[in-house]
Amino acid sequence: MEKLGINIPVLLAQLVNFTILLILLYLFAYKPLLRTLDNRSARIKESMDMAQKIKEQAARTEVEVKAQLDAARQEGQAMIAQASQVGERVKEEAKQGARQEAQAVMVRAKAEMDREREKVVDELRKEFADIAILAAGKVIKESLDKKVHERLIQEVLEQSSLKKK
Amino acid sequence: MPKLGCSTKALVILLLLVALLVLSFIGGAIGKNFFGETPISRVIGPEKPEVHLPADIVFTVPVFGFALPVTNTILATWLSMLVIIVVALIATRRMALAPGGLQNSFEWGLEKLLGFVEGVAGHENGRRFFPVLATIFLFVMVNAWLALFPGFGSIEIHGPEGKGVHLLRSAGTDINTPLALAIVSFVFVEYWGISSIGLRRYLGKFFNFKQLLKGKVMGLVDVFVGLLELLSEFIRMVSFTFRLFGNMTAGEILLMVVMFLVPWGIALPFYGLELLVGFVQALIFAGLTLVFGTMAVAVHEEGH
Repeated sequence: MEKLGINIPVLLAQLVNFTILLILLYLFAYKPLLRTLDNRSARIKESMDMAQKIKEQAARTEVEVKAQLDAARQEGQAMIAQASQVGERVKEEAKQGARQEAQAVMVRAKAEMDREREKVVDELRKEFADIAILAAGKVIKESLDKKVHERLIQEVLEQSSLKKK
Repeated sequence: MPKLGCSTKALVILLLLVALLVLSFIGGAIGKNFFGETPISRVIGPEKPEVHLPADIVFTVPVFGFALPVTNTILATWLSMLVIIVVALIATRRMALAPGGLQNSFEWGLEKLLGFVEGVAGHENGRRFFPVLATIFLFVMVNAWLALFPGFGSIEIHGPEGKGVHLLRSAGTDINTPLALAIVSFVFVEYWGISSIGLRRYLGKFFNFKQLLKGKVMGLVDVFVGLLELLSEFIRMVSFTFRLFGNMTAGEILLMVVMFLVPWGIALPFYGLELLVGFVQALIFAGLTLVFGTMAVAVHEEGH
């Protein structure tokens, strides 16, 4: 042992030296180094995750946009269909209204016409009666008195209005 | 000869080198053997190297009545600690910035080491082992490399006992340093083992009576293997110590002998070799500690 040079104080000194070196290096070299390495790898991982996320987001957005487009197209189609339906109905209603209006106008016109004719016929009848009375009075001036005369006329008129009906 | 300008320069340098080598041969121990004592050998011939394994005491520090010896190897250790810490501080001072230069290479080296450690021990255990392993690695390597600097082993001062002692000597050539490292390695391996799998299970690796208590005769093999493993835990320390001590000392002696035989030039390739040896020994020490640590934290499979 002596020949080899084993010497307890020197051995202890070297143990202490190594321990000091270990502690100092741990504090000033390994800790910052490992932290830096970890930070670096964390950052790399983070950016890769981010890229992945962005990619996924893009894919999702694409699907979404597609879905929205589809929905919009369907909606548009539905709206067009509805609008054409509404148009059809409006057209139908307008037609219906026009027809009714025309009918009403026609009815009214007819009524007016009837009334007018009635009036004309009435006047005609009166005139005719007067003429008839006049004529009859002229023909049978003395044989008939006024009373009989009027009854006769009434009869004639009755007949004529019956005939008319 | 203007045409040969460049190669003339090279030729001159080559001639100078050859002359240097010739002088060196004549002046070294080999030349002395052939030509005897010459004026050249008196000027450049080195003294005969003497190898003594115990480190010399440079001075002593009195602490509580004890005279604590400070050897030249301890001084060298302090020097390499200083170098390591200064480099680490400079390298990690502005860690947040983008790495460049010293920080980059320091970081690169430690990152490679961390990758190696995590590759063997896994991420979590690798992180636990790394500080100790990296310190062992840096300590062994810087100690070995610093000793290769010119002038490291050639400063001589007057020691306390009146004779001249070298001020610095490679720390690895003092057996106390490898022994201290081996003890550190042992302690940490046991600590990692116990703290990961628990004292009972950890000791169960070495005192394996389970099969024997079940009445199986083959359980004796388990007991024997366990005790053998226990023994090997301690033998590791010895092999750690002598591997590093032997390599460092052999390197030092090799350089000394080469310098003695041929003082100039020839030693250069051996310096390159010693650089490699320093790196390899550091890697082996750290690597073996890593392997032992990984083995210690591994849970022994039951019933095979």
